[in-house]
Amino acid sequence: MNPGVYEQLVIYETSASELDIIRDISRTFPSHVFFQRRHGPGQRSLYNVLKAYSVYDRDVGYVQGMGFVAGLLLLYMSEEDVFWLLVALLKGAVHAPMEGLYLVGLPLVQQYLFQFDSLVREHMPKLGEHLQEMINPSMYASQWFITVFSYSFPFHLALRIWDVFLHEGVKIIFKVGLALLKYCHDDLVKFPFEKLIHALRNFPEDAMNPDTLLPMAYSIKVSKRLEELKLEYEKKNGKQAEAGGRQKQQTPKTH
Amino acid sequence: MARRPDEEYDYLFKVVLIGDSGVGKSNLLSRFTRNEFCLESKSTIGVEFATRTLQVEGRTVKAQIWDTAGQERYRAITSAYYRGALGALLVYDVTKPTTFENVSRWLKELRDHADANIVIMLIGNKTDLKHLRAVATEDAQGFAEKEGLSFIETSALEAINVEKAFQTILSEIYRIISKKSLSSDEPAPASIKEGKTLVVGGSEVNAKKTCCATS
Repeated sequence: MNPGVYEQLVIYETSASELDIIRDISRTFPSHVFFQRRHGPGQRSLYNVLKAYSVYDRDVGYVQGMGFVAGLLLLYMSEEDVFWLLVALLKGAVHAPMEGLYLVGLPLVQQYLFQFDSLVREHMPKLGEHLQEMINPSMYASQWFITVFSYSFPFHLALRIWDVFLHEGVKIIFKVGLALLKYCHDDLVKFPFEKLIHALRNFPEDAMNPDTLLPMAYSIKVSKRLEELKLEYEKKNGKQAEAGGRQKQQTPKTH
Repeated sequence: MARRPDEEYDYLFKVVLIGDSGVGKSNLLSRFTRNEFCLESKSTIGVEFATRTLQVEGRTVKAQIWDTAGQERYRAITSAYYRGALGALLVYDVTKPTTFENVSRWLKELRDHADANIVIMLIGNKTDLKHLRAVATEDAQGFAEKEGLSFIETSALEAINVEKAFQTILSEIYRIISKKSLSSDEPAPASIKEGKTLVVGGSEVNAKKTCCATS
């Protein structure tokens, strides 16, 4: 795709985010063998992709969390392909654009957290009530959306989620999030604040078994409510949400 | 609602860790709460949380610490955590002048979002990197005096002054709180009630958290 463009971005352009990216390179999957070696091929590719993207889209630039997305993809394709996949994801070539997760104000993170919070209360009223008293979803779920579960979940689970994510978009993040809470529901409703927050950030091994978690996630229906909650959120927040650069799902942006 | 003895405390103080990305906030937190330092630590996405209960001025104080992502873009999420915080540890990296220059921006951020009487402590971290030092102690000291902040230099890696930093800010908070409650004649100061919904049961910081070996 677009021969020479990627090379141009990597080699000839300069980015205001270069130092930020360098600072985070060794802090992205630091214990993964591909990224472990200082200035090794993994770290170099990661730097190139992130730098290229920060030049390509200066509004987004570089935001912490993007490295985990790019890093996960780099394990499966060339850095140039990763770059163009990032472009497709953030600009919404197939699904809703993700760039609002990273733009100033993180507008899409805020919207998704609002939607997720409502869904929790609708699907698990008892837990919703328990959480509402003390926990805000930004305390545990922002990284789910910002990194599509690649930040702190085991790779074998993250990959399975990514398969679905690439196929059908952000819905699966909501579904998996709800399934995790559902799986641990009976413990969570009993936990006081600190135990709760710890549990929400460190799910037990059996909860993260993709063969049980994903079927559970698939069985949760969210599409219709997500649409409605999005409208509700936009109404509540006026037009400011528009800044998130979210287009209608059907209109791929060409770049 | 009987709490186990090890979870009893007289005061619950909420403290936030702020400062530029990569200055060592998360490692200061893990050093203080678990006595761990993680060489292979990931950048913080959003917020992290940990607690530790300790003796401050003869009282049992539970410090509830929120560690925030340092990148500017994340303030959209993290600034909400300043609310109700009694203390802020504002960290810079003594080897990176820009992280010290940005301290004023962080102070403004606190003024805009935090309670007016929040106790702020300036921390110059990474003193172990002696050969790379680029911010002089006197400069930071002078700045802190001018701004009315307490100041300390730390090394989370070598566990130098970390305990002292937290002790100092918690004592300072305690002094303010106890003065307030004396003058207002209330048994518990209002500001502590921030934590009232957080009646805490199992508070042991679970050691099974991932991260890596202690050093």
